[in-house]
Amino acid sequence: MTTPDEARAELLARIRTSDQPQTVLRSPELRELADNIKDLQPEERSGAGKALNELKQELLRAIDERQAELDEAGTAPIDVTAPWDVNSKRPDLLPTETGTRHPIATELERVVDIFTRMGFDAHESRQLDDDWNMFGALNFPEGHPARDGYDTFRTEEGFIPPAHTSTMQNRVLKAGKAKLEAGGQIASISYGRVFRNEDVDVTHEHTFYQVEGVFVSKDASLAQMLGVLQSLFETYFGQKLKIKTQPAYFPFVEPGLEFLIEKPAQLGGKGGDWLEVLGCGMIHPNVLLAADIDPTEYRGFAWGGMGDRMIMLKYGIEDIRHLESGKLAFLRKFA
Amino acid sequence: MIISTNWLKKFTDIDVSIDELTKLIGSRLVEIEEVVDLGKKYEGVIIAKVVECAPLEGSDHLNVTKIDDGGVVQDVERDENGLVQVVCGAPNVRTGLTVAWLPPNSTVPETYGNEPFVLGARKLRGAMSNGMLASAKELDLFDDHTGILELDDDKQAGQKFADAYELNDYLLEIENKSLTHRPDTFGIVGFAREIAGIQGKKFETPNRLNLENVYWIEKDGDIETPSVTIEDAALSSRYQAVVLTNVDSSAKSPLETQTYLARIGVRPHSAVVDATNYLMMVTGQPLHAFDYDKLKAVNGGAIDIRVRAGRDGEKLALLDGREIELSMSDIVIANGETPVALAGAMGGRDTEIDDDTTTVLLESASFNLYNLRNTQMRHGIFSEAITRFTKGQPAPLTEPVLAEAVGLLAASAGAKRASDVADAYPGKTDLRKVYAKAEHMNAALGSAFSTHDIVTTLQNVGFEVEVSDTDVIAATPPYWRADVHISEDLDEEVGRLNGFDSIAPSLPVRDFTAISPDGFDRFRSSVRTVLARAGANEVLTYSFVHGDTIAKAGQDLGNAYRIVNSISPDLQYYRLSLTPSLLGLVRPNVKSGYDSFALFELNKTHSKAFGSGEDGLPEEHDALALTVTGVKDGAAYYKAKRLLEFLAESLGVTLAFRIPEGDSGDDSIAPFDGKRSAEVFDVASGARIGIVGEYKTGVQKAFKLNRDTAGFEIELRALMAVAETAPHRYAPLSKYPSSERDLCFQVAKDVRYADLEASVRAALPAGSVAAAVEPLDIYQPDSGDTKNVTFRITLTPAEKTLSGEDVAAVIDGVIQKVTAEHGALVV
Repeated sequence: MTTPDEARAELLARIRTSDQPQTVLRSPELRELADNIKDLQPEERSGAGKALNELKQELLRAIDERQAELDEAGTAPIDVTAPWDVNSKRPDLLPTETGTRHPIATELERVVDIFTRMGFDAHESRQLDDDWNMFGALNFPEGHPARDGYDTFRTEEGFIPPAHTSTMQNRVLKAGKAKLEAGGQIASISYGRVFRNEDVDVTHEHTFYQVEGVFVSKDASLAQMLGVLQSLFETYFGQKLKIKTQPAYFPFVEPGLEFLIEKPAQLGGKGGDWLEVLGCGMIHPNVLLAADIDPTEYRGFAWGGMGDRMIMLKYGIEDIRHLESGKLAFLRKFA
Repeated sequence: MIISTNWLKKFTDIDVSIDELTKLIGSRLVEIEEVVDLGKKYEGVIIAKVVECAPLEGSDHLNVTKIDDGGVVQDVERDENGLVQVVCGAPNVRTGLTVAWLPPNSTVPETYGNEPFVLGARKLRGAMSNGMLASAKELDLFDDHTGILELDDDKQAGQKFADAYELNDYLLEIENKSLTHRPDTFGIVGFAREIAGIQGKKFETPNRLNLENVYWIEKDGDIETPSVTIEDAALSSRYQAVVLTNVDSSAKSPLETQTYLARIGVRPHSAVVDATNYLMMVTGQPLHAFDYDKLKAVNGGAIDIRVRAGRDGEKLALLDGREIELSMSDIVIANGETPVALAGAMGGRDTEIDDDTTTVLLESASFNLYNLRNTQMRHGIFSEAITRFTKGQPAPLTEPVLAEAVGLLAASAGAKRASDVADAYPGKTDLRKVYAKAEHMNAALGSAFSTHDIVTTLQNVGFEVEVSDTDVIAATPPYWRADVHISEDLDEEVGRLNGFDSIAPSLPVRDFTAISPDGFDRFRSSVRTVLARAGANEVLTYSFVHGDTIAKAGQDLGNAYRIVNSISPDLQYYRLSLTPSLLGLVRPNVKSGYDSFALFELNKTHSKAFGSGEDGLPEEHDALALTVTGVKDGAAYYKAKRLLEFLAESLGVTLAFRIPEGDSGDDSIAPFDGKRSAEVFDVASGARIGIVGEYKTGVQKAFKLNRDTAGFEIELRALMAVAETAPHRYAPLSKYPSSERDLCFQVAKDVRYADLEASVRAALPAGSVAAAVEPLDIYQPDSGDTKNVTFRITLTPAEKTLSGEDVAAVIDGVIQKVTAEHGALVV
């Protein structure tokens, strides 16, 4: 009766020379070893089973190594400096008419462009951040119930995939402080990807896009905020729009509002349909203080939202899941 | 949360239509998700008296009744006395009963809105039944199948059921998320106060809820005042308790109370339970009733109530039948050493009131909302009570509500107050003043409020307000407004109650400095445009991938940041590079019928190997990856290289390609086949910008790719850096004709193309003649060790026309150099 130890060397050698190392797992030796266990006394079985299992693991590792070796050897080197393959010709580009940009990228560029023309600078937001930028700097005390609303993910290290682009606020305020104190204003937008631990369906995604804006000056007011946002959406949709607000609670603003626009005619709006497009408000004094800006000297307003839902509305995209699906059938609609 | 407008009207006038009210609430308090017209559901329901009732012959449970509806229902069969015959199977039907009758052609309220069931006149066991007599369940009030609903006898026959029980009501479904900071609005009184405020009316808090007017019914009994101790003031700011005797646990609350509870989704039980629920809904303050005798029994006959943190290993059997393990963050109510309730969340099974309960200990308390929030999540308890406690109910409220409950139970369940009121109150706080000035408020809001406007607005909702000689407004928020601390909170209050929409939008003033768009944004935009022009499709894919995807690409999983609370294993790790995400898309698109295409993405990548920045946060890299499949013109590598060079050229960058040297451990390189890929460098600066090539056989297999697939992954910021410094390429057009010569060299097949071209270029003249070198053909016979490479050399003079000799001299120089350096033959 063979033992695993006796079979080991033979099987390993076979793997090292085989072109199809996987087949070694079907060797009669292994089957015999397995059969042998059945004939053992019950108290011996577990030890023998363990030994056989260890052997199998070792063989699997050897098979992986051999397969990798075969895979590498299987390819012939090429002259990577050549413009094309031997006996071939210069490869063509793909047909221009099939090429497309992603609608989110296109629309974000449009929004950024409008804000730039309005006097805001723009930066992409981070995709991995910390508790301070996500909550602490934004006047969310530790354990505050409002934190629940954001359904944040966390990494092992305690980092947070941002659940809103407001994670950029503290950085933007700190960076703009000198300009402010030199008599200027802070006018900045942050845009990018945000993440929420949410089940995905036709209208919900765990990954989506937001645009965040911050304005700080000596005389910023809520009326100015309404004017700036109205102007943004009127430019974006190329028409006059009615706006309204709804009280909302976000710890980083006071007062806090939801901002709504009447559904634009170009999206099939007939009047009276309201769209919630973003959250906004006057920056809470604690948020200014967190960036070392004196709230008795300066005031600001901020907003965040828009993103995917605006883009879906604009193009009539029926399912948010299409956006990150990578389906050519979807992507090529945006030629 | 559901708010009944009829309930609101008991506390404030509403003199606008429901549509206007909905709009006002939406713009000045909270979003309303839905408005339900409750009256419609009860449209046809009529109150009737059972005049005759006799068993139906041949049936063991049906009765034939004659009912009096006051003759109000038309088109129904009546007997000579004007009575209507209805067959009823309920065991409690009897002569003299006042009932809710669903006449023929009316809709059973329970089915309203779903699959409406419209009644008719039909025979049951041979006897005609005109519609039916309704149970509470059929009336969609609550689950009670024991019989028909017995109405109050003082209701008139023929009266509409909805009128009699105030069910001509509109229910407002409120989005509570934006009221988490407003515990007061979780009671009808608090909500009504806001409704008054947004209509510009002064709200009068009901007298019996005023702290100054707390009314306790006379003590009638001599039970010792319960001993109450709050062990840690951080857990509970106040705990009150009182003992009631003579409680009739089987008593029911008035039907009207029951219908109010039922319409907002609270199931009526006994008078005792209903009273606590009713008061919670009205005031926002939850109460809890213990069976006093059972409570005593767990502590050897003594009452020694202790509010304390849970202890590890401690267990508690709850009302819902579960046995839970307590933790230090739970707050428990204990009698002596024994936990009897999970504070604010749920009572214990051992002290539950039941039908035999006659003596009750009633609790009114406030608990730390953070602890309760934790308890809620840990034990999955989402009751109406804990919903309110987790908003932070104010401690002063416990007293008037407890007094009110005692009064209610005396009235509805015959209870007597048998003890004095125990009151542990370690969390007493003083009211504070918050200051405002009209001029500051108007500057912040862009509004035009007068001092008088501000004062009135605040007074309407219960603020005490004083104005100084210098027009400084000192507002004292009422005790239920723990959310108001700073002048900005008053801006919110005044702006909101008067409507932010009444503020006219304006625009900030700015100077005429041009803002430069972000350089990186502009760069990315051109990259997208160029690649789309090359026929590629931009994708956006998730930042998170499956651990297997990383492993399949040959990357080091240890470098990837792991999400601890991911939705699924598919989204557990931050991706180390973009290529694996793209590879995952190739096969599904091929299966959908696309055979030849290129996908690209610009996005961020994350790896522990990137290290951290000064702020301690992980460094983020901006990457560009492309993958092209279905390549038919030669090895796929060259297609990917061509696309990359097209991009580089459009950015003014010239690239060099080198075989990767050894295993660098770089995760972005890991998927690429070392023999069929190249690291990419900028020729001008020598900077490395990425990798291009075919994928390892193992990677191809793992992602089910064909061999005709290749791609690249580029560090976008490195590419931008070299593009920004790339020289302008324009040279003035020449007035003189160019000369072209084609040269074909036969060389050993392992001579690299780049070396050959370099030799050609090195032999070309510098100075006033511009020389260009283009490859024309690379031919390698199937057998043999040589290949033929053909170049086209174009010479363009700037100063004079080149003669044949001039050109021949240049070409000879090239031939000499290439033959000398590569042993080439000219073919």
